[in-house]
Amino acid sequence: MNTSRLLQLAIPLVKEHGFTRKTLSLSVLSLPSPHQHPLSDTAISAIFGRGDEARKALFKAWLEQGRREMLHSENKSLAPVLKSRLSWNEPVLRYLPEAFALIASPASGIPPLDLRPALKHAATIADQACYISGDASVGTAWYTRRASLATIYAAAELHQLTSPTTAYGFLDNLLTTPQSAEKAIGEVGLFADYIGKSWAGILRSSGIF
Amino acid sequence: MRPTTRVLRLQRAQPLYLAHRRHAHTTPHTNVTTEAEKTTHFGFRTVPETSKETLVKDVFNSVASKYDLMNDAMSFGVHRLWKDTFVSLLKPGKSGAIRCLDVAGGTGDIALRILDYAKDNYADRETSVEVLDINSEMLKEGYKRFKKTMYHKSARIVSFIEGNAQKLELPPSTYDLYTIAFGIRNCTSIPDVLKEAHRVLKPGGTFACLEFSKVDNPILATIYENYSFSIIPLLGTILASDRASYQYLVESIRRFPPQSQFGQMIRDAGFETGGDFEGEGGAWRDLWGGVASIHTGVKI
Repeated sequence: MNTSRLLQLAIPLVKEHGFTRKTLSLSVLSLPSPHQHPLSDTAISAIFGRGDEARKALFKAWLEQGRREMLHSENKSLAPVLKSRLSWNEPVLRYLPEAFALIASPASGIPPLDLRPALKHAATIADQACYISGDASVGTAWYTRRASLATIYAAAELHQLTSPTTAYGFLDNLLTTPQSAEKAIGEVGLFADYIGKSWAGILRSSGIF
Repeated sequence: MRPTTRVLRLQRAQPLYLAHRRHAHTTPHTNVTTEAEKTTHFGFRTVPETSKETLVKDVFNSVASKYDLMNDAMSFGVHRLWKDTFVSLLKPGKSGAIRCLDVAGGTGDIALRILDYAKDNYADRETSVEVLDINSEMLKEGYKRFKKTMYHKSARIVSFIEGNAQKLELPPSTYDLYTIAFGIRNCTSIPDVLKEAHRVLKPGGTFACLEFSKVDNPILATIYENYSFSIIPLLGTILASDRASYQYLVESIRRFPPQSQFGQMIRDAGFETGGDFEGEGGAWRDLWGGVASIHTGVKI
């Protein structure tokens, strides 16, 4: 038994309970020898950290699992692999804006918005998609290929948050249109809008307003 | 070379150590190898495992009555802040009433904080603590302290047990929280203590240890080293007329495994811990740059 095993058990529960400490506490009920009670708050803090740190650990484990799931895509070409990653989001779509806002918000509050985890997420998926599809780019092309794919995927994922049903078509369109990357960059405004809304939600729920 | 010199000076000064030396000299030669195989440390000295328990008991018998005074003097009262932090990290009572075992908790410092924390923060007066210590003198101090509090009439809320952390005469899967503060380094076998902790905790129960640890910052480490070996034994002489016992306390701190190694020992005992790093989500949390650290683990 190790921490990652508990996280693995918690991931299927996310679609019902979100990226929460409760989800982590319920993970022990799915053990081969299930506990009688969920883990206490003290135990969750002891293993995964206090407050939102535990939630971040769960979200990162979920992202990592999503990356691994891409390997199981039946069609190994680029578009189906990226679509399989989008389909991984579907059951938990309603929790994703807040989860991305969570990892983009440093614990210290300085800087107020840290986009590096979100950029890393998109870059990791682009790299994984290139690997699975057998991309043979070398030199500068290796970087530009991944950078453009990361931008396209990030835009498609953001589109998915607002319009899940059209996200796959949107992705196809971005991958086939020559100016797709430029269009995708335009979607950054959508991302900022989502983060802003999520923050407002967090602040409201914390009782500041 | 420096520590060796200190140990020799101790051996001359204290009958406690001389008694042990006599024992070593009178041990038949044929048994020397066997004893050498089963040794442990007592401060900077290597002693037979069978002797350490008695030696530690003697130290704490000696310091019991002035233990709190000396702790305050040695740490400028900081040990109180560390204990407060320790208990507040565990949040006893947050998920309802729990049953706690406070090992090596003779003077009741941690037990009292657990009960107060649960009461003050969660209106929980059902959480209970069993204080266990190998040393009856320390337990007497704790009992005396509790008689000054609101908990003194409730044996259900707090009770005192004389026992050995390595061989707990307690039923398995009984406690929700196991705490040990500044005690585990004095035990002969740390793995045995951890094994017993794992046994008596319920599934999902939390192990928490507050202990002196290793300071990484070289400047702070130098200051701390000089303070420990020069000032603390001197304070022991002045305030408790007992230099040797306090010298032992300092030496035992240096012999305790560093944070990462102790974290691994906790995992080896079967506990689940955070990652092998310091801080949130890690296996331990440093206090004052590692002068003390809090390790936690969960029985899964």
